[in-house]
Amino acid sequence: MSEKHNITNIKKRIDRIEDILAAVAAGDLDARINSETEDDLSGIEAAIDLLIDDLTDELKQREKMQKEVEDKLSKIQEQQKTIVQQQEDLLELSSPVSKVWDNVLILPVIGTLDSQRTQIMMENLLEKIVETGCTISILDITGVPTVDTQVANHLLKTVTSARLLGAECIISGISPAIAQTIVHLGIDLSSIKTKATLQDAMIFAMRQNKRTDDIKLQSLYINPNEKEE
Amino acid sequence: MTSDKNWEELGRKNLESENDIVMARQLVRHYAKQLRMGIVDQTRVTTAVSELLRNMYNYAGGGEIKIFSGLVDEKDALIITCSDSGPGIEDLELAMSDGYTSGMGMGYGLPGAKRLVDRFEIQSKVNVGTTVRIIKWR
Repeated sequence: MSEKHNITNIKKRIDRIEDILAAVAAGDLDARINSETEDDLSGIEAAIDLLIDDLTDELKQREKMQKEVEDKLSKIQEQQKTIVQQQEDLLELSSPVSKVWDNVLILPVIGTLDSQRTQIMMENLLEKIVETGCTISILDITGVPTVDTQVANHLLKTVTSARLLGAECIISGISPAIAQTIVHLGIDLSSIKTKATLQDAMIFAMRQNKRTDDIKLQSLYINPNEKEE
Repeated sequence: MTSDKNWEELGRKNLESENDIVMARQLVRHYAKQLRMGIVDQTRVTTAVSELLRNMYNYAGGGEIKIFSGLVDEKDALIITCSDSGPGIEDLELAMSDGYTSGMGMGYGLPGAKRLVDRFEIQSKVNVGTTVRIIKWR
């Protein structure tokens, strides 16, 4: 009697096992057989339930880890964004042009002069020249450790374009080692006014200023005379 | 090309971006300083490397730099090898002459670098790549 009962149930229960397995396969991790009968088949049913439990745990663990990795990744991406942002900020920061005296601009250059930085530096300088009407600008390269042909080329271009706007550039801060290197490279910087230190450049600029002032004064002095005549 | 298995490799760096040029340059300066080279020699060798790497980056898109210390002709030397697998140089004599440029530069890169170091060896094969070895006595 009981055997017969079991047999009739077997079909049903195997169907149930199949259903549960299909549900789990489809992604429903809460599905369990939860058999209430106790017989030979219940062992298999319990084992399957256990397996599903383990699987659920594994999957949950994996999800958790994946989430952690994703979190870390997004954090890194955010940091990278900050770094790029800071680099851009630095680019702007690193080429400040300031008016230090009547008619005199100073542009201290620090670090490496790549094409992008030179571009920004040149733009800042040219804009400031137009804005202030200064005719002397000092490019101080004390903070540039290596002057290769590319840097020299960039400097030449900057000086030439400043000249087109009517401003004379003085390059200062060339160390003895860099001076020798430039000569060996064969770069001709003789068209540019260069000074060893920023101080020398400032003195030169002041003298230049005085000369132009004198000329202005002279012309002021001559002009009234012309009127009298 | 001069080469010796007894050279001690001090460092190497792959060149992939413009930033790597700066880092490789700093590496060279660091080892030159470590080998007790004077400030003028440090600057010279660093600038020479800068020229070579700039060429590698502009024409070959990248490459590799290796820094050695060792004996060349029984003299202590800093040896730097820069190699790329770029388009190569067709006419080495022309490339080594002052004022010639195939790009946007001033044309003083290679000949200038040669003048900055004590020995300069270049090997190039079209479509295979270019290797430059520079040697500076310590």
